[in-house]
Amino acid sequence: MTVEQAVASAAPVREEDGLILDVRELTKEFVLHNIDGRSVSGLSGVSFRLSAGEHIALAGTSGAGKSSLLRAIYRTYKPTTGNIFFTLEDGNTIDLVGLSDQEVTMLRGRQIGYVSQFLRAQPRRSALDLVTRAGVYRGMGRDEARDMAATSLRRLNIGEHLWDVHVSVLSGGEKQRVNLAAGLMSPPRLLLLDEPVSALDPENRESAIDLIAELSQSGVAVLAVFHDLDAISRLATRIIVLEKGTVTRSGPTDHILPSLTVGDVQP
Amino acid sequence: MTVTDNTTNRLDSLGASGDGPSFAILDEESKREIRRALLQAVAVPGYQVPFGSREMPVARGWGSGGLQVTLAIVGPDDTVKIIDQGDDEGVNAVNLRRLVVSSTGIPETTEAREASIIQSRHRIPEDELTATQTLVLQVPVPEPLRGIERDVRELARMHAEADYSRMWVSLYEDKVRNGVITQSTGYPCLVNGRYVVATTPIPRWDIPRLHMSQFLTLFGAGREKRVYAIPPHTIVEPLTFDDVPFEVERIEGAACRLCGSTDSFLVDSSGDVDSWACSDTAWCRARRSQG
Amino acid sequence: MRGPSPIPTPDPVLTVNGLGKIYGRDDAGTIDRTGSDAGSARDPITGAIVAAWDVNFEVAAGEAIGIVGESGSGKSTVLRCIAGDLEATSGDVRLSTHMEGRSNVLLADPATRRRMRIDQLSVVYQDPSEGLALSVTAGGNIADPLTAAGVRSFAKIRERASELLSRTEVPLNRMDDIVRNFSGGMRQRVQIARALANKPRILLLDEPTTGLDASVAAGVLDLIRGLLEELDLAAVVVSHDFSVIEMLTNRCIVMHHGRVVESALTDQLLEDPHHPYSQRLVSAARA
Repeated sequence: MTVEQAVASAAPVREEDGLILDVRELTKEFVLHNIDGRSVSGLSGVSFRLSAGEHIALAGTSGAGKSSLLRAIYRTYKPTTGNIFFTLEDGNTIDLVGLSDQEVTMLRGRQIGYVSQFLRAQPRRSALDLVTRAGVYRGMGRDEARDMAATSLRRLNIGEHLWDVHVSVLSGGEKQRVNLAAGLMSPPRLLLLDEPVSALDPENRESAIDLIAELSQSGVAVLAVFHDLDAISRLATRIIVLEKGTVTRSGPTDHILPSLTVGDVQP
Repeated sequence: MTVTDNTTNRLDSLGASGDGPSFAILDEESKREIRRALLQAVAVPGYQVPFGSREMPVARGWGSGGLQVTLAIVGPDDTVKIIDQGDDEGVNAVNLRRLVVSSTGIPETTEAREASIIQSRHRIPEDELTATQTLVLQVPVPEPLRGIERDVRELARMHAEADYSRMWVSLYEDKVRNGVITQSTGYPCLVNGRYVVATTPIPRWDIPRLHMSQFLTLFGAGREKRVYAIPPHTIVEPLTFDDVPFEVERIEGAACRLCGSTDSFLVDSSGDVDSWACSDTAWCRARRSQG
Repeated sequence: MRGPSPIPTPDPVLTVNGLGKIYGRDDAGTIDRTGSDAGSARDPITGAIVAAWDVNFEVAAGEAIGIVGESGSGKSTVLRCIAGDLEATSGDVRLSTHMEGRSNVLLADPATRRRMRIDQLSVVYQDPSEGLALSVTAGGNIADPLTAAGVRSFAKIRERASELLSRTEVPLNRMDDIVRNFSGGMRQRVQIARALANKPRILLLDEPTTGLDASVAAGVLDLIRGLLEELDLAAVVVSHDFSVIEMLTNRCIVMHHGRVVESALTDQLLEDPHHPYSQRLVSAARA
């Protein structure tokens, strides 16, 4: 489908609703050519909507497709069929499925943010540099980005003595917080979080959770994977439960949460 | 009378000579070929024009190129002066002069002002030369980029595209290594803003004389089979960085022990320490005879 | 042809269309008899080698695109055709710096293409001796492009060379050492400094760290990554090494037997490769 067709067939933009993400029948199949050409299903017919200020938590056992869903939206996985309608800053709606690589690149880091537990490939960067860069990438001036980076790192309790240290020498928890700080620079419209606090000790976890809550309050649409029932209960407005790549249940947090067990969110 | 008129007249006056030994050794065909090459050279200042270098009664490397140029342009009305290292009496200069004079019957002179053709290796005479005079310089190595590139096609390309960056790098390295650009003779110059030439083997001292000169300078390289030219009123700029001035040789407090000049090119004299004399012996002598 | 996109993307600085290089005599069937599906770049009938065919991509300022593949894939051929080191058989390559992208540089005469290499497009070769004069000093190697661009002040040359060597982390007290006396990693840094002398908009890197010790390579890669960001260059990175591609590029193309088999965002290629050959390559890299 072309962008024009996608825009034409999209649900009418409802500014008042603040609809940011409209996922329809999203399906991802992996064809393993080097095994025997078999198909493995990652996601199957996933549909949901996410509005500004909403926080949807994805729940489900390991391999249920939670990370796959985030990746498919971010385009790290290329969806097989379905649509991912996204409302841009200027109010236009486009289908992320079918965008060119360059267009996806423009959206990433600016309108769509992604924070995972793994720091990508940047071990020899200093913490401050890394977070500053995220801001510059989002369109900030270098000085402004540096100031915001400092603020961000402070909020996540990364001491100044660690700012000029190469990230590779930081502890797992410190790395994760740097990652979070980078991901939270200049809040995007849509934030995808993949276990952003799993390696944090209780105190730092609290700061991180507060920060994420603030983002939701300022209107960021958040789609998150947490292996932490407590974090889910505090942050999520809705929960979607996935099993074998399909949505089995979804609804407001207080409806779904009571029936979730620790096993449902195991990493 | 301009140099062009002069040259034209000279060419016109040379007819195809008939029998007997040729005027100026070379037959008319050869002279015509060399003259054509020279005209090309004058038309494209600094460009090395290939020519069919003949066997001369002078070994290659001993001025056969300069000799061929002189023989190609000499006419019965010319007077020739030939010097080597500024000295008319150097063995080589004497030999060359004898060849020219015996095959043409024209007069010879040691006075630069009296000569219409001055053939030289290594110096430009100290006297002011005029528009009616032609300087013929003997050049062993006509290629200024010789130490920098060996491949002939690449050399041709560099000149064709005016891509002299390797020359500049070599000047940079020289300055870095030695604090100054050390090249003494054969200093590379940019002629008419286009071609870089080897001024071998005249010293730096003589280079400013080539710039916007009144006289025509022709360069002949017999072994390498090239001629090139710097016509009168041509811009000649020694290659150097804007902030590294081109300096001529100067020895503090030195003077010619014979005539006392401090304003001519001086060379070691009689092997004594701190003993200098004018390189241009005829000029020095004339100065002394004036008292 | 797509209409105007609601997501404005920057105009490309380098555009490559239909780039191809064939060695030997080809006939009408050569293209079909060669390539990824055929399993070879060599035409079994005529013996022609289709080193690269139908390669298309564009790069904007501040972007780096990777060309990944094994040796013989054609990736270096593509780079050399764009650089002008090899004469392409076909294709249309435009640089925004040359006649505002209105002219196919492959049709320009060799002298014009050489001039582009002075201040528009630079190449960093796998072997530093291909991009440097070993018997010349580090500073002298940088003086070369500067003088080619018309710089005639010795002081300015020294200043710019110092600036570049400092940025590429070459100790300044080695500026006057000849490059032959430098280690491989240092030589590579000098090559990079030289490539950046006249502030080109486009930088082509051919296996920039292959052959260097791992720790040395890491430092050079880090340097390159920093420079790409800082200088807003449009870069093409050729490598067989996915870790290099991952570190330096955000989009890439995969080449196999001279053809492009996949074109993707770098992270997507590494996590969700589609083409069978890409999958083999990625899983081998992960192993």
